[in-house]
Amino acid sequence: MAEAVVVEGLCKEYKGRLGDRVMAVNNLSFAVQEGEIFGFIGPNGAGKTTTIKMLLGLLFPTSGKATVLGKPAGDIEAKERISYLPESPYFYEHMTGAEVLDFYCQLFRMDTATRRKKVPELLERVGLGKDGQRTLRQYSKGMLQRVGIAQALINEPDLLFFDEPTSGLDPIAHKDIQDLIGSLREQGKTVFLSSHQLSDVEHVCNRVAIINRGELVRIGTMVELLHAGRTIVTVACASAELVESLKPLAEHVSAEGDLIRLYVETEDSVHAVLDAIRGKASLVSVVPQRQTLEDLFVEIVREGRK
Amino acid sequence: MIIWAIAKTTVGDALRKKILQVFLVVAIGLIVLSLSFSQTLSFSSQRGASADFMLLKSFGLGMMALAGIFISLILGVTLIPQEFERRTIYTILAKPVKRYEFITGKFLGALLTLAIATGLMGLTFIATIVFKAIGAQQMAMSPTTGAMPGVGVDSVAIFDWNMVWGVILIYLQFMVLSSIVLLFSLIFTTTVNFFMGAAVYAIGFMSTVVNSLGGAERASGLQQVFFKTLSFVLPQFDQFNIPNQLLHPETQVANLGIWTLKMTLYALLYVSLTLVAAILIFERKEV
Repeated sequence: MAEAVVVEGLCKEYKGRLGDRVMAVNNLSFAVQEGEIFGFIGPNGAGKTTTIKMLLGLLFPTSGKATVLGKPAGDIEAKERISYLPESPYFYEHMTGAEVLDFYCQLFRMDTATRRKKVPELLERVGLGKDGQRTLRQYSKGMLQRVGIAQALINEPDLLFFDEPTSGLDPIAHKDIQDLIGSLREQGKTVFLSSHQLSDVEHVCNRVAIINRGELVRIGTMVELLHAGRTIVTVACASAELVESLKPLAEHVSAEGDLIRLYVETEDSVHAVLDAIRGKASLVSVVPQRQTLEDLFVEIVREGRK
Repeated sequence: MIIWAIAKTTVGDALRKKILQVFLVVAIGLIVLSLSFSQTLSFSSQRGASADFMLLKSFGLGMMALAGIFISLILGVTLIPQEFERRTIYTILAKPVKRYEFITGKFLGALLTLAIATGLMGLTFIATIVFKAIGAQQMAMSPTTGAMPGVGVDSVAIFDWNMVWGVILIYLQFMVLSSIVLLFSLIFTTTVNFFMGAAVYAIGFMSTVVNSLGGAERASGLQQVFFKTLSFVLPQFDQFNIPNQLLHPETQVANLGIWTLKMTLYALLYVSLTLVAAILIFERKEV
């Protein structure tokens, strides 16, 4: 599979107010495969938006290089096939939803006939079919975000950059964005998703890169990143002797009436516990606890602060 | 197509700026009010008529220039920075839009906005003068208030093409000034740019004086070079105000149409060079 985005040793240095140098992005290297939903996460100020802006050619890297769809970042030919939805997109407020989309269609050199067909289609697609003739001043934040999505779909892009697409949205609009990303995945599009909604990222992304303080900390699939956690084995009617014999196999044991909960770390220990209780107590449940992306994220960010 | 799309959007956006609307309305209001102001003037003799019309025209052109300078400054200084503030620039430049197309489109939009503003002011100005000229002719022909036989009636033309040239020359000034503040807006903050633009206009307005300082015998070699360079680099705004006889009572131009053509070429050259400089800077500007 071809690579949609390739980043090699990308650095972005800013001059601070006191003349000091601030590394916003430091030696970043990764690749995004075509057709992949790629999560790009990190705390505020980690360098996510700076990286996206460099990939779009809005900012210029201090060193390193980046290619987008096989072209250097910012290349006009590549821009024909990509789109960008910024966090809280802003448009000319005096224009109607239809006028804004018509304007963006013109930026793709679409003729009048194509635009007349395209604009109503886009408005319908994002649920603004009845609001296309209202000025953006009258739109809610969610409606503006829908206009943002519509402008990002004008050219039927192969690669979409979404920067915090669900920021400040109500649950309905949030769900719509999730559905949109799902449909883009089905169409084989590549999505570069930067978000603080870690549950969304975990749910929709094939792979995730975590950056902190401008540096890549982890990258991989969910299976690679999130290690299996401990397993809670709950048994009933266990004798005191049996409980004592199980304690070495568990990290922690708790009792609640007749129920005994064993917090077991490894898979081997789980099998050992199950063998030990066979015929001696009733097995109530075996619940494996998986680490979430949020757990991993918090762990990484806290490590970074130390 | 892209340049035109950006230009049209810029015009729509600019015409909704309250501050521009205020300057425009005040300027138009003052030009119209000059009618009542002129009631105190004498239009009944040949000498009085031409002198009073000269005063009216100068007042009208002055009003237009003053309002237009402020409009050009405000429009020019906010043209690009506002795109950053509102973050509209990100979605535009993420599309297949070349940076020169963006800058040229924004500038063309500013020029069209200024053309609309100048057109409105100019039409009001010309209509005011024509209205007054008709009134003066009627007054001259009246047996009770008229002038001496053969005096006054023909002395005031109903329509004078020089007014049109005057309006065009004023518009050319706005073009040049807005191109300068557009260029500055890529380098300086909005406030600094506003005052620098005003300073450039003020110095350019006195370009003849600045040039003569460069040739003054008392000036040192360095001072001469400085003033000569200043007069050469900065636009010579005073040359655009030639039709305003209050500002240039001694200057007589044989053919104002040819003078306007000459100044148009000068303005186009100046604007082109400024725009190229702005494009070169914007090509490397981070957004």
